[in-house]
Amino acid sequence: MIEYLFMLTAVLGAILALMQRDLLKSAILVGISGASIAILYQYLLAPDVALTQAIVGAAIIPVFFALAVYKTRRMEE
Amino acid sequence: MVIDVQIASLFTAVSLIIIGIFAAAFLDNLIKKVIGLAFIGDGVNLFLIAMGYKPGGIVYIYLPGMAAEWFSQNAAYPLPFAMVLTSIVIGASTMAVMLGIIIVLYKKRGSLSAKEILGE
Repeated sequence: MIEYLFMLTAVLGAILALMQRDLLKSAILVGISGASIAILYQYLLAPDVALTQAIVGAAIIPVFFALAVYKTRRMEE
Repeated sequence: MVIDVQIASLFTAVSLIIIGIFAAAFLDNLIKKVIGLAFIGDGVNLFLIAMGYKPGGIVYIYLPGMAAEWFSQNAAYPLPFAMVLTSIVIGASTMAVMLGIIIVLYKKRGSLSAKEILGE
């Protein structure tokens, strides 16, 4: 039953990440969406994909976005 | 809950793809366009995983003591899982290249707005 909550978290995180003006908050919300997709993979009987997505989607991709925001500007003009 | 997990996952994947296409097409900031492309990749991966799901099945790990016919009838379909594992890593690396190009573009033009860079 709790997997429906993670589906909702994935979609809501995606929508909220695109609504932020602060791009650093946007990067963190991308990480939340990726982490809930990783938990959803576990419920869909794919534990190896869930491990990879948990590392790549919840840690590496937000760090890449944070580095890009650090090298450019933080607020969206 | 009346909706199946597989059908709900397919709806989640389609909504992620629609959100990503909207962001990549209509938003102005270049980093948000890249975020939209990342959501499109996530949605496609989730769609493939949800197609391979079997309701009431088991994880595709063959343990000693299982009958082969029972295993082949109850295990989830493992081919998209092996391919999606590659697709996730390739998606992350292409996104890193896109962000690098955006950083170089910001150093040359001094802006992240697509309209301002294209001169419209």
